[in-house]
Amino acid sequence: MENFSEVLALFLSVDNFLAIAAGVLVGVVVGAIPGLTATMAVALALPFTFSMEPVTAILLLVGIYKGGMYGGSITAILIRTPGSPAAACTLLDGYPLAQQGKAKKALKTALYSSCVADMISNIALIFFAAYLAKIALNFGPPEYFWLICFSLTIIVSVSGDSVIKGLIAAGLGIIVSTVGLDAVYGTQRLTFDSYNLMDRVSFIPLLIGLFAIPEVIEFYTSKVLPHIRTAVSGASLTWKEFKGCLKSVVRGSIIGVIIGAIPGTGATSAAFISYSEAKRNSPRKANFGKGEIEGVAAAEAGNNGVAGATLIPLLSLGIPGDVITAIILGAFMIHGLTPGPVLFQENLTLVYALFCGILVSSVVLLVVGNAAIRYFSLIADIPKSILLPIVLMFCVYGAYAVNNNTFDIGLMLIFGVLGFIFNRTGVAAAPFLIGFILGPMFEDNLRRTLLISKGDPSIFFRGPIAWVFITLTVASLLFAIRRYWLSRQEASAA
Amino acid sequence: MEKSEINLSEVTERSYGRLNPNSVLGAILVLVAGIFLFYIAPTYINEPPSMQHPLLSPRFLPQLAGWLVLLLSLALLIEGLVRPPRHTAAEKLHEGIPVLRWVLMIASGAIYMLFFEELGAIGSGILVSVLLFLASDLRKVSIYLLAIVFPVVVSLLFVHLLNVPLPVGTLWE
Amino acid sequence: MRQLIRNAAKTAALGVAAVLTLSSPQVLAEGWPEDNIRLVVPYSAGGTTDLLSRKVADLLQKELDTVIVENRPGAGSTVATAQLARGGRGSDHTLVMASPGHTIGAAIYPNLRYNPIEDFRFIRNVINIPNVMVVPGNSPYNTVAEFVEAAKQEELSFSSPGIGSSIHMSGELFKNLTGAKMVHVPFRGSGEALPALLSGDVDVAFENMPTVYPHIQSGKLKALAVTTATPSEFLPGVPTIQEAGAEYGLGDYETSAWFGLIAHKSFPEEGVTKLQEALDKIMAGEDFNNFLPQFGAEAGKVVGDDFRNFVAEELTKWAEVAEKANLKR
Repeated sequence: MENFSEVLALFLSVDNFLAIAAGVLVGVVVGAIPGLTATMAVALALPFTFSMEPVTAILLLVGIYKGGMYGGSITAILIRTPGSPAAACTLLDGYPLAQQGKAKKALKTALYSSCVADMISNIALIFFAAYLAKIALNFGPPEYFWLICFSLTIIVSVSGDSVIKGLIAAGLGIIVSTVGLDAVYGTQRLTFDSYNLMDRVSFIPLLIGLFAIPEVIEFYTSKVLPHIRTAVSGASLTWKEFKGCLKSVVRGSIIGVIIGAIPGTGATSAAFISYSEAKRNSPRKANFGKGEIEGVAAAEAGNNGVAGATLIPLLSLGIPGDVITAIILGAFMIHGLTPGPVLFQENLTLVYALFCGILVSSVVLLVVGNAAIRYFSLIADIPKSILLPIVLMFCVYGAYAVNNNTFDIGLMLIFGVLGFIFNRTGVAAAPFLIGFILGPMFEDNLRRTLLISKGDPSIFFRGPIAWVFITLTVASLLFAIRRYWLSRQEASAA
Repeated sequence: MEKSEINLSEVTERSYGRLNPNSVLGAILVLVAGIFLFYIAPTYINEPPSMQHPLLSPRFLPQLAGWLVLLLSLALLIEGLVRPPRHTAAEKLHEGIPVLRWVLMIASGAIYMLFFEELGAIGSGILVSVLLFLASDLRKVSIYLLAIVFPVVVSLLFVHLLNVPLPVGTLWE
Repeated sequence: MRQLIRNAAKTAALGVAAVLTLSSPQVLAEGWPEDNIRLVVPYSAGGTTDLLSRKVADLLQKELDTVIVENRPGAGSTVATAQLARGGRGSDHTLVMASPGHTIGAAIYPNLRYNPIEDFRFIRNVINIPNVMVVPGNSPYNTVAEFVEAAKQEELSFSSPGIGSSIHMSGELFKNLTGAKMVHVPFRGSGEALPALLSGDVDVAFENMPTVYPHIQSGKLKALAVTTATPSEFLPGVPTIQEAGAEYGLGDYETSAWFGLIAHKSFPEEGVTKLQEALDKIMAGEDFNNFLPQFGAEAGKVVGDDFRNFVAEELTKWAEVAEKANLKR
C-alpha cells in the first residue's frame, strides 16, 4: 500500500481523536438516558458537523452510534429501563443480576462483549464488506420473509416459564403493531380515528412503558422493604467468567454482522437472535432470564455486532440500512461525498482513514465505558424510594421528547400498566416486544413478495438464501417442540 | 386497574387449591380475543374495495394474531383447570399496603398524563417527585430538595444541551 | 448516603450554572424577532426534510436570531401543520418546513381540522429536489415510451418508501395519466426500497434525485426521465417525462419534492418581510449554493403569494390522484 502515509496523514489529527472521544462519550450518556436514543443523538449532532472536515464529521457520528449502542445497556441493567430498543434483550439477564447485587459484573460483561463484538464487526467491515454487500443485494422481500419467520421462532426461548403465555404475549404484540394506516392500502387499522395512532404506536414509549414503569408500579403496590446496600454493586467480572461467555460473544458478533449487513432488519432482532442461540447452546440453559452473565454477553454482542456492519451496505452500496446510517449518509452528502463503489475508487484514502478511526472508536469505547461504569454503578446504591420517582421523570421526559407529544406519555403509562399485569400473571414481556417489532416486518415482506410476484407463491422458494432460512426456521421449530416435550415429561415425572 | 390486580391475588389466596390463576387469565384473554376478533377487527379495520390477493388484506395479520391468542388462551384455561395451582410467597408482599401509597402513585401518573403541558416539564416533575417521596414516607427535608433540583437540572439539560424541547407550562406563561 | 446526596446536589448546582451561561441570547435586533424562532420539522429527526431544515436553520440563525429546530412527526406531517394552524402562544415565531406531505397529507387524511391553504402564511419555497424515473440497470426498457407500452401489456411494479410519499404519488400520477397497469409495492424508507430496485425485484421507481444519483452514475440504475418540467443539470441527456411521454398523455406531468417555510395565518407582516429578505440573502450566498448540489437540489423559486398558488395547484393535483387511487380515507 503506497499511500499508507496519506491515510495516516488524513487520520492522525487531534480533531479526529477528539471527535471519536466526544462522540463515544455523548453516545454512552445519551444512550443511557431512557427515551433518548442513539438515533436522536446522531440526528442532533449532525448540524455541528457541517463545518468539520469530512473524516472528523463522520467519525463523530460513528462514535455516537457506537457509544449509544452500549450506553443503552447501562440503564437496562441498573433500572430495567432500556436506553435503546436493542438493550431490551440485555435487561432480561442484566436486571436480575443487578437485583442480586451483581450490577458491576453485568455492566462489565456488557462492556467487554460490546467491545469485542464491535471489533469483530469492524474487521468484517474492513475485510468482508464486498462479499457481505453482495448477500445484502440478494436479499429481496421473499428472503426477508423467511429471515423474519426464523426470527419469530426465538419467541420460544424468551418466553420464560410458560411458552403458551409467551406466544399469547407475542400475539398481543403483533395486534398492537398493526395499529395505524395500512402500509399497502392506506386504510385505517385500529386507529379509532385518533391522529396520534395513524403512524403506528410509537416504539420508545412502548419500550419504556413495558419494562421500566412496571418496576415503579410494583414498588408502590408493595410493602416498603428496607434498602439492602450492595457495597457499590458487587464484585467485578473475572476473566474466567468472561472466558465462559466468549463463545457466545463471538457467535453473537457474527449474527450481528450478518443481520447488520442486511438493510432494514436492525440491532434489536440481532440481540434477541444471539441471546436465543446462546441459550440453546449453553449448559446453563435454565439460568437464562434469571441472571446469567452469558445472556448479557450474548445480547450485547448481538447488538454491537450490528454497529460496524450497518456501514457495509452504506459504504459499499450507498444504501442506508437503518435511520442512523441514513443520517450518516446525509453527512457524507453534505461534504460532497457519495458512498458506494465510486467512493472506494475516488476516495480510497478517506475510506481507509475512516476505517482507522472506526477501529480506534472500539478502543475508546472500552475506556469511556469503564469510566462510565464507575459513575453509573452508583445508581445501584440509591434507595428505590428516591431513585424511582427520578426514573419515572426521565421516562416521562424521554417519552415526550420522541415526538414532542403528550399523547406518548399516556401511551407509555398504559403500556406500563400492561407490563405490570404481565409481571403479576407470569407473562414474559419480551415476546410482546418481539411480536411488536417483527409483526409489521412479517406482514410487509409477505405482502411485498405477493405484490412483486403478482400472487405467485413459488417466489418464496426462489433461491439458496431463501432455502437456508427455511431450513433454519424448520430446524428451530423442531428443536423448540422437542424441548417443550422434554420439559413436559420432566414436569409430569416430578 | 391496580385495585383489581390486588383483588385478583387475594382471590387466589383464598381459593387456593381450587382455582388456578392461569385459568382466570386464560378466561379473560379468551374474552378479550373474542371481542377483538368478532367486534373490533371487523369494525375498526377497513378493507379496501379491491385486493390483488386475500393474504394482502389489512385484516389478515391482526386476525391471525387474534386467533393465535384465542386458541392459546383456551389452552391456558384448560391446562389450568387440569393442574393444581401453585402458591407463591411473593403474594404476601402485596398485602396490607397503605391506601395512600398507591393512590399517590396513580395521582402521579395522572398528573404526567393529563397536565404535563399545563404544568410544564419542571412543574409536573417537581410535583410528582414530591408526591412520590411522600408516598414512601421520606422525612428528610434534604431529600425534598432533590425533588426540585432534579427536574430543573434534567429539563435544562434536555432543552439547552441536547436541544430537545420540553414544555415550559402553559399555566405559567 | 448523605455524602452521595450532597455530592449530587453540588454537581447539580454546577450543572445549572453551566447551562444558564450557555443559554444567554446571541443577537438582539430591533423588532421581530423578539424571541427565538422555532422551526418545526413535521418528520422524524434524520430524514431528508430534517436534514434540509437543520441546514436552513443554521443559515437563518446567522441572519436573524437563534433558530430552534423541533421535530413533530405524525400522520404524514399533518400533526405538525394542524398544530401550527391552531395558532396560539408563540405562533408569531413558529415556522413549519412544508413539503409535498403538506398537500398529499391533506389529500389523504380524513377530516383535517384545518384548511391547508387558507390557514397559513406562505413565506418562501426554499429548495426543490427533482424525482427521477429509474429502472434497474439490466431492465429491458430504455425509454419512457418502451416502459409505457410494456406496462399496457403486462402489470409492472413500482416501489416507494411508503404510501403517500411524493415518490409513491408520482407513480400513481404516472399510472393515472398513461393508463398503464402498475402495482405499488410500499417499503419503509428509501434504504429498504433501493435494494429491491437494484436487484430488479421491482420494475421502476420515481425516486428522489440524491437517493438514486450515485447508482445512475455507476450504471446499476438507468434514468429514463426526470419528473420536473425542465431537465436537470445533474443528468444531462435525460429527458423530462413531459417530453418523453407527451404522446402517452404525460404532457402536463410534473412532480418534485419541494420544501418551503410556512407560518400561521396571523404571522406578523414584519416577520414575513424579514424572513424573505434573510432567505434571499442566504440563497444568493455561497454556502447555500455549495450545499444544493450535494442533494441534486435546486433553489426554490416561488415566494409569498406565488408559493401559495403553487401549493394550491399541488393540492388539486394530489386530491385528484388520491381519489383515483382510492387513497382518500
